[in-house]
Amino acid sequence: MKSPETYVCAGGGGVGKTTTSAALALSLARRGERVLVVSIDPARRLADALGVQLGGHATPVDIDAGDGALFAMMPNPRDSMRTFVGILFEGEPEALARMLRNRLYQMLENAVPGMHELVAMTLTWRAVAEHRVDALVVDTAPSRNAVDFINYPDRLAKLLGGRAVTWLAALAQSGGDARPQGRAGKLLEKVLGPAVGDLAGFFGELARVRGRFVELNEGMAELLLGSRSRYLVVASPTGAARDDAAYLIRRLEKLVGRPAALVVNAAMAPERAWAETLRNAPETTEAMARTLELLSIEADQRAQATARVVDSLQRKHDTVPLWRLPFVEALSPRDVVEQLSTALTALLAKA
Amino acid sequence: MTPPDSSTKPGAGSLDAMSADSRAEPLPRLARAIFVTGKGGVGKTTVAAGLVCAAVDAGQRAVLVEFGDGAPGRRALGQARDSVTHVIIDPRRAVMQAAGPVFGSPLLAKIALGNFAMKPMIQAAPALRELAVLELCRQTVAENPSARVVFDMPATGHGVAWLRVAEQIGKLTRRGPLYDVCARVQNELLKPGRASIAVVTLPERLVLAETLDLCQQLAQEVGLPVDRLVVNRVPPIPEAQALADARQVASAGGVVGAAAVQLVEVLSVRMRMREEVVEALEEVARHEHARGLTRLPMAPSDPHGPQVAAWLREAGAA
Repeated sequence: MKSPETYVCAGGGGVGKTTTSAALALSLARRGERVLVVSIDPARRLADALGVQLGGHATPVDIDAGDGALFAMMPNPRDSMRTFVGILFEGEPEALARMLRNRLYQMLENAVPGMHELVAMTLTWRAVAEHRVDALVVDTAPSRNAVDFINYPDRLAKLLGGRAVTWLAALAQSGGDARPQGRAGKLLEKVLGPAVGDLAGFFGELARVRGRFVELNEGMAELLLGSRSRYLVVASPTGAARDDAAYLIRRLEKLVGRPAALVVNAAMAPERAWAETLRNAPETTEAMARTLELLSIEADQRAQATARVVDSLQRKHDTVPLWRLPFVEALSPRDVVEQLSTALTALLAKA
Repeated sequence: MTPPDSSTKPGAGSLDAMSADSRAEPLPRLARAIFVTGKGGVGKTTVAAGLVCAAVDAGQRAVLVEFGDGAPGRRALGQARDSVTHVIIDPRRAVMQAAGPVFGSPLLAKIALGNFAMKPMIQAAPALRELAVLELCRQTVAENPSARVVFDMPATGHGVAWLRVAEQIGKLTRRGPLYDVCARVQNELLKPGRASIAVVTLPERLVLAETLDLCQQLAQEVGLPVDRLVVNRVPPIPEAQALADARQVASAGGVVGAAAVQLVEVLSVRMRMREEVVEALEEVARHEHARGLTRLPMAPSDPHGPQVAAWLREAGAA
């Protein structure tokens, strides 16, 4: 399988990250590509932005895209874990049944924080192969730590790939001097109490499917860290969004290198030549004049806020290309997506 | 995408129109520890800073607890930052920090957690980090008697899972030092009367629907009531007269008429958005988990703690 071009969108909350991801996916599809957009954001805004119903499977989105196609998925944190072990233990029904009974697993299944990203990316990797996707857009969770998940598969692989698993799986078989567990093992037993058996059982089962896990992990690493993956940091003109963006750029530079672009949403005021016409017209009433004044103050404030955010981010990260998106006011989220997509198509053509 | 508003007073005609009905009952009392949660970008940090500043204004000691580098909290506190204790917990170091008492001593903790098999497991086991953070939260409340302690929870979207971690690991371990940590967190921190939850949200129908689900989960699965449901950035009402006048001018045609059509369009969209907000909020107000419903206005730029404290006081929510 040829790995797709991947765009990972990261940013603080409320910056319009999901809308931007949907718009980007739409632009790529209209360019003739087969695109999958995935939201790992548990807030589940993607369906709203695209105006469709979505779930854990890639669903085609009806757009006017010629040769291109757009699929979208939004795995549910509540049932994604069960799907994941299903994939991991495919063809091993007994081991799967033991795993499902394991109490540590049951706890993890109960939506333990952090697992969702991993599971969602596994499902994504499968969907990419199934639908011959050539461009993938990943909408991450709205948090500063959202990109940390990209090395999570690696952390798990380190755990499962090495001697650690054997050691952890052996913890349960205490007694006899065949397995010296050392001081750390005794400490762990003391701290965990009876749960040490669940822990050992859990890792015992995982050790069986180590090979499949490593394969899944390599697939995900290719998607997220391969030569065809790009990171976009999304911001909006607020102080909080600026700090989050600066943090994410630094974090990404450490994890995967320089982001491909800094996308600033709502960064261009709409052209309002008509406002000037009205201001000078004798027909304009006092109430209209007051409203025009408010609109103009608003536009000035937005322009100032944008300038502050852009200046400060460019001062520190002048090598990251800046993409400005317009401020869009529309009733339906899908209309907002369409308008942003128009702007993004132009930016993609230049990039 | 928040259109700035030139008014910063909540009473600027925007809130009174729809809140008069729900003012009759006083809001639930806030416990000493307050967890501020909600999805990303809704203004959690601002509300957390407001709750802290409100306590300081009332002569109480107050602590703002943040997870990360502390920059958002410092910015949100603004001028008030000197009168508030600002505690920063780094989730990445929390396990090591909280592990000392579990293993008996920091040295033993280091031996156990530095073990070749344990190290990658701790790195990969997300729940332990969350438990460690909760234990550090408990310690902060215990170390600051009589102070209001406000936790600005990270926007992971896992708020419920996080607050359940102690209960779940407790059930798994059943006894031993790790169980003791879970029990302490459950009994001393996450008990009604000891902790309140403040959920922050935005006045959009879908976001509000998600928020009500969250409130229900918090009440049922965590066992903590949502004592404040803060709806942030409620937009002002566009002037109806301006819209009516613009329609009139538009009907006359010509260059000015065409310009007026544009104004009508902008104002109609805003009017419709505002109506949707009012409808959605009326629905929320009838919900059983919305006892602490509090509305805050849209501000031209990120408001600071003292300003939010004033709004909260005015709404009887401080």
